[in-house]
Amino acid sequence: MYLFKNALKCIGRAKGRNILIGIIALVIAVSACIGLSIRQAAESAKAETLEGMSVTAKISFDRQSAMQGMRPSADGASGGTQSGAFDREQFRTLMNGGTSLTLDEYQTYAAAESVQDFYYTLTAYFDGSDELEPVSSESETESESSAGAPGGGMSPGRTKGDRMGNMATGDFTVIGYSGDNAMTAFQTGSTTIADGVVFSEGTTERQCLISEELAAYNELAVGDTVTLANPDSETETYTLTVAGIYKNTEANDLSVSMFGVGQDPANQIYLSAAALQGILDASASASETTTDAATGQETETAVGSSLSATYVFADADAYHRFEEEVRTLGLDDSYTVSSADLTAFENSLTPLNTLSTMAGWFLLVILLIGAVILIVLNIFNIRERKYEIGVLTAMGMKKGKVALQFLAEILVVTMAAILIGAGIGAVSAVPVTNALLANQVESQQSSQLQLENNFGRGGNFKGGLQTAPDNLPTGGRGGFAALGQNVSNYVTEVNSAMNLTVLLQLLGIGLLLTLAAGAVSVLFVMRYDPLKILANRD
Amino acid sequence: MEILTLQNICFSYGKVPVLKDVNYRFETGKMYCIIGRSGAGKTTLLSLLSGLAKPDGGSILYDGKDVAKLDKYAFRSKYIGVIFQSFNLLTKFTAVENVMLSMDIAGVKGKNKRQRAMELLAGVGLDEDEANRRVLKLSGGQQQRVAIARALSYDPQIILADEPTGNLDGETQKEIMDIFRSLAQQGKCVILVSHSPEVAAACDEKYELQKLSGKKEPKEKAAS
Ligand SMILES: Nc1ncnc2c1ncn2[C@@H]1O[C@H](COP(=O)(O)OP(=O)(O)O)[C@@H](O)[C@H]1O
Ligand SMILES: [Mg+2]
Repeated sequence: MYLFKNALKCIGRAKGRNILIGIIALVIAVSACIGLSIRQAAESAKAETLEGMSVTAKISFDRQSAMQGMRPSADGASGGTQSGAFDREQFRTLMNGGTSLTLDEYQTYAAAESVQDFYYTLTAYFDGSDELEPVSSESETESESSAGAPGGGMSPGRTKGDRMGNMATGDFTVIGYSGDNAMTAFQTGSTTIADGVVFSEGTTERQCLISEELAAYNELAVGDTVTLANPDSETETYTLTVAGIYKNTEANDLSVSMFGVGQDPANQIYLSAAALQGILDASASASETTTDAATGQETETAVGSSLSATYVFADADAYHRFEEEVRTLGLDDSYTVSSADLTAFENSLTPLNTLSTMAGWFLLVILLIGAVILIVLNIFNIRERKYEIGVLTAMGMKKGKVALQFLAEILVVTMAAILIGAGIGAVSAVPVTNALLANQVESQQSSQLQLENNFGRGGNFKGGLQTAPDNLPTGGRGGFAALGQNVSNYVTEVNSAMNLTVLLQLLGIGLLLTLAAGAVSVLFVMRYDPLKILANRD
Repeated sequence: MEILTLQNICFSYGKVPVLKDVNYRFETGKMYCIIGRSGAGKTTLLSLLSGLAKPDGGSILYDGKDVAKLDKYAFRSKYIGVIFQSFNLLTKFTAVENVMLSMDIAGVKGKNKRQRAMELLAGVGLDEDEANRRVLKLSGGQQQRVAIARALSYDPQIILADEPTGNLDGETQKEIMDIFRSLAQQGKCVILVSHSPEVAAACDEKYELQKLSGKKEPKEKAAS
């Protein structure tokens, strides 16, 4: 035990030297602490978000791979066509809504073991009636005159092969929800009921929810009825009862109305999917099919709809299992499984992950340089203390003990430096991490913006449009949320960086550096012969 | 009682022989002087006695046991007290700390080590202020006293001193010699190494160490 007392005494008697070692160790400790904290922050940000996150996924048709299949390959042995000519008919079918899965198919995959929850929405477009005018920011006359605009009243009858297919646009977007769980906006609270109640889950009764704006615009109240018309057949009408009035708690993007009045969140009407299906069935049976004499294209008047199914998973692992499972359940390769929220989550971590990787390299460099400096310093230190070693061994202190005492001295100094460093690190890690992260996010954003500019998509408008078709059925809003996500939804802040793991890692590093430096001192002590050292003094 | 015996000790630094067939016997309660000219190998012999070096030939017996077979660290730290020519004190430590550290290394038991160290220092003529001063700030004579106190700290049977009066004034020399005399009277075996005839005259017995020439043949036998 005298060994440690002696070590402490020696530290006190050689302040200058130990302060120098201490300062170097402190610099290493603070840098290492911040580096480790950044890595830790990235880890915990990931873990925390993943933990609370239930992952949702959609199955969508992969146009890219479908077109790949149709394109004649060099040897002409393509699966799509034998002649090598581009099959327009097949292409049309592929590009059309006909390629989307049916509800039955969606439900087959919902049976996969990994799926926690499943819901879907049906979206259809209707026109209003005299007592139900769509809310519009444009003046009435303007709206009427621009009949050709996508939002205006479209000419009745659209061709089957049209790009938009049977997803025609009307004044109102009518969305049918399979259940309460499908009403994500209500789940998250971005939309709430202002008056009345939400229709009961799965009801076939034609009860609907309308927006506050629409209610005010048409002087409607709970219990009133509204009449919707088939945009392709004005005489075909359906009457709904207003069960409730909802309001958006999130501010509307004004630009939204530019996509057409039907896309305006105020002009969305919600009802149960079963009820909407009933209306669609009725419309289908009342449908008339006409054939254009000139082009031979068939046109029908039935109200078209699009189906969007969402699978919910307990965690990311379940989602990845699902990707495998659907294939065994028979999902064709031309369909892809994708999770917007997982992708968004991964994207949101990009700056933090980049920072974490950089911190890792920084840490490595610091440790290497630190180790070299400490070892060199220690060699000088030991050479200077040659005489002391000689005296101690001549007094009968075993060389091992002398080495241990020297090791203890370095250990005490570096550990003290590391504790102080950890303290400084704990205080500065979060602000430093956030400052670095802000930098990283900024460069990430500017490089992304640059990229978009290069592609001529400078305005985030078109970027939004691109994602819109996938997200449309969730109520239009999803598309616009994705628009924001692309640019600014990065994890920009961490709130805790330093924790016990970091402290332990830091102590481990300190121990490692000390041992590296200490090993050198042990080597030197063991090599010295007291007789020679003391003889040289004479 | 015979405590230390040298049998046919030979030693050389590399190819240069320093000691050849040295046969000395030391008893407790007596004061010895190993006298020889500078470079005769006195310090070398002392290094062998204190276990810092091993003889090339012959053996050293401590209380009848071969020192080569004892743990050299234990031997150094417990059985033999050495006062080196250059004292070999830890200069950054105080006098009393040097003495206490020596006790610690020897594994001396007991609580009042500090008090015992202070007593030892007082015994060799250092007051409390000097005892608590860093060795670096003590004079040569005072350092010599600290080295003696340190050698006594674990109460060894044998005390070895290399040129104990080397750079001391006459008065101090006498005081130091008195200390050694009283130690011998207490029953210790005191072995002084010196080139000084005065020191030799104060001892009970003396051994003369001849300087070996570059060759193996000893030059003059009776030079003193
Ligand atoms: N470490 C050493 N290496 C080589 N030769 C040495 C060493 N120490 C002493 N010598 C030589 O051994 C001889 C005896 O030295 P030493 O024992 O110090 O003599 P003394 O103490 O009697 O003056 C001298 O010739 C000296 O040069
Ligand atoms: Mg000498």
